[in-house]
Amino acid sequence: MTRRPPAGSVGAAVLVLAAAVQAAEEPVAIVGGTILTVGPQGTIEKGTVVIRDGKIAAVGKDVTAPAGATVIDAGGRYVIPGIIDAHSHTAIEAGVNECSDAVTAEVRIADVIDHRDVNIHRELAGGVTTVNVLHGSCNAIGGQNAVLKLRWGKGPDDLVFEQAPRGIKFALGENPKRSNFTVPGVRRYPATRMGVEAVIREAFEEARAYEREWDAYGAKAGSAAAERPLPPRRNLRLEALRDVLDGKVLVHAHCYRADEILMLIRLAEEFGFKIRTFQHVLEGYKVAAEIARHGAGASTFSDWWAYKLEAFDATPYNAAIMAAHGVTVSLNSDSDELARRLYWEAAKAVKYGGVSETEALKMVTLNPAWQLGIDGRVGSIEVGKDADIAIFSAHPFAPDARVEATLVDGVVYFDRARDGSAR
Amino acid sequence: MRRAGLPLALALLAGAGAGASSAAETTAITGARIVTVSGPVIEKGTIVISGGKIAAVGADVTAPPGAAVIDGAGRTVYPGLIDGLTTLGLTEIGSVSGSVDVAEIGEVNPHAKAWIALNPHSALLPVARANGVTAALAAPTGGLVSGQSALIRMAGSTPDALTVKAPVAMHVVYPTGRPPFELARLFEEPELKTFEERQKDKKKNREKELRRLGNLLQEARAYGEALRAGGAKPDLPLQSLAPVARGEVPVVVRADAEDDIRGAVAFAEEHALKLIVAGALEAWRCADLLKQRDVAVLLSVDRLPRRESDRYDAAYANAARLHAAGVRFAIVSDDASQSRNLPYEAAMARAHGLPAEIALRAITLSPAEIFGVADRMGSLAPGKDANLFVATGDIMDHRVSVTHVFVDGAPQSLETRHTRLYDQFKDRR
Repeated sequence: MTRRPPAGSVGAAVLVLAAAVQAAEEPVAIVGGTILTVGPQGTIEKGTVVIRDGKIAAVGKDVTAPAGATVIDAGGRYVIPGIIDAHSHTAIEAGVNECSDAVTAEVRIADVIDHRDVNIHRELAGGVTTVNVLHGSCNAIGGQNAVLKLRWGKGPDDLVFEQAPRGIKFALGENPKRSNFTVPGVRRYPATRMGVEAVIREAFEEARAYEREWDAYGAKAGSAAAERPLPPRRNLRLEALRDVLDGKVLVHAHCYRADEILMLIRLAEEFGFKIRTFQHVLEGYKVAAEIARHGAGASTFSDWWAYKLEAFDATPYNAAIMAAHGVTVSLNSDSDELARRLYWEAAKAVKYGGVSETEALKMVTLNPAWQLGIDGRVGSIEVGKDADIAIFSAHPFAPDARVEATLVDGVVYFDRARDGSAR
Repeated sequence: MRRAGLPLALALLAGAGAGASSAAETTAITGARIVTVSGPVIEKGTIVISGGKIAAVGADVTAPPGAAVIDGAGRTVYPGLIDGLTTLGLTEIGSVSGSVDVAEIGEVNPHAKAWIALNPHSALLPVARANGVTAALAAPTGGLVSGQSALIRMAGSTPDALTVKAPVAMHVVYPTGRPPFELARLFEEPELKTFEERQKDKKKNREKELRRLGNLLQEARAYGEALRAGGAKPDLPLQSLAPVARGEVPVVVRADAEDDIRGAVAFAEEHALKLIVAGALEAWRCADLLKQRDVAVLLSVDRLPRRESDRYDAAYANAARLHAAGVRFAIVSDDASQSRNLPYEAAMARAHGLPAEIALRAITLSPAEIFGVADRMGSLAPGKDANLFVATGDIMDHRVSVTHVFVDGAPQSLETRHTRLYDQFKDRR
């Protein structure tokens, strides 16, 4: 398995490419729109966003477009931070699942990015700028995810969100225990929720032992003794899990039932790591207090239910209840189709449980940004953040709202008016 | 007001309950914005429900003495939404086969009747109803001939009580020629065939299936005549198909690709069938043909375009294009658990060019017309069944809540499995 260069160098290359496309050294100004910053500046009527070098340079009512700026007229329109989908399988080349083993922590989505997937374009047309591309839920511990920026037209490495922390997929319940499907000729452990717990426990016991082996080797190798010890054999699977134990890899855990959520919290706390997000988490509302105390985020569907037994106690009030308990909640798609209308998924949180409009919009912008560890870069319209922005024809929750333009790093990647010719 | 949400909705329902308007009694919703669909919007008016029917509606109408009165100030009254393609009543939990009765074994099941297997106690029905859906087409799926659909109301404790009209249509899946999906096949070595070979295979399979269907219809026609002459042996499939073959019962053909839709139109013409196309992802590519042959369409909006080369909004804009061409269509959920989101599919069509009033018509009066029940439902007019609901604003706005639902004049509970779980857990610490 080849190793990627450090993410930082990829990022530098991307900015150079972006410059080639739209002359990013020249400023861009989005003028006259209602800006829903989702940040400390709140809502700004008839405001201006100034973008320099792909970053937001100024935001406000009294801000004026600098001389020489490319001006985007947003009069009568709504300007919001680019939408972030915390659960996506877009742009994966062929298989989403490495199903062959109950633990496949060594595989990486970043190695199989299909940058030609037309759904990148279609999601941009829904105001989406960043997606968390996850391994499937076939096994208790799946592969490592890739956070992508939707820089449509760029190569696979250029899509990777530079500086986004690494992450990994876990899965609990019916999928890893294979309740709803069988692969002919193959039976695989586990087949119960007991087995799912045992698989995860065993994997982390092994990862701990692996870490001890390397620590012992490090201690010996560093000593002045004449004897040169042999290094332990490298194990990419255990290396990834060791990094989870060390807090270097964010855990995104697919789950449904309340009991399995509590199980994973218990197990993680016993091994001394954190769950960053519970994904789907349709019964999260039953144990919202425990999720909040652990400090995990929750990334859920607005209202999907009844498609399997563990989804029968779902309620569209899930997001509101978890948020009221202090959980950082995002609303995700898990679907190339639904990803294009996440702004309306957010609006449902207003209807079901009375979440404020700003908090609801956070559930598809700033909250998923936090869940992916990139809230310092994206998720709100604030000076210094990446200029990832969606421009809507009306308030994004309104019934006639549609996306007119989407920018990533200050570059227009979707423009409805020019869509026919630009694609 | 918009954030009123559930507690207020329940409180209002309790208030209505105190007035105890059963189907036989009289209820008036006063001072509301009334969207009649069949006529102009009444900005401030009153609607009177009596004996399960709409007794009066208008700006000058007043509540009759003794009527239970609901103050509709600041509220909007709509005709109940009609979801023109669902599996409601036939499915509970998708992955639990014991709770699913949507698709019979085998390819030809014209004698599978949705109204036989309706579960009136399904948790899915109140969920759809709580967002304004008061009627739905419950239709079997799968195979070549899936079976017959029924139009159901979202209230009643027996299958008969749910059934408004049955059969509404015979449901057919247009044969694509592809072998049916089997999970096991994914793990087999793929057959090595060229694109052309595979296209040829598909065409051959499709033609075979269409011949099979054509023969069935011919037999059914003959069977119907024999039946009338008193000389037919029992044959449930042919007996069920006979009214379809005579053009008395419409046939709903599921077809998405342009070629398949055109094929369905040609087939229907050849066999003199009354055709409705469902799914219809590429209907916009043959809108003129559909208009010319007066084919109605059951359209689901929130879908990905069929081809990579399509505009990103091909499915969203489908409805606007059909409307522009003069095609009759309804917007449908084509689902069961997601039926409550029917108004939002209409909203997506509206955001992509469909006039707002047509978008609303596509989930009320248009399906009523397509199913032949427009004399009873689909709009707010005197004499029609009192299927209606009250909302805090524009029902296509995701933030808006429904505060009252009436089915045949009877007020319905807005409590659902989901509100009960909310109440049970919202304050758990």
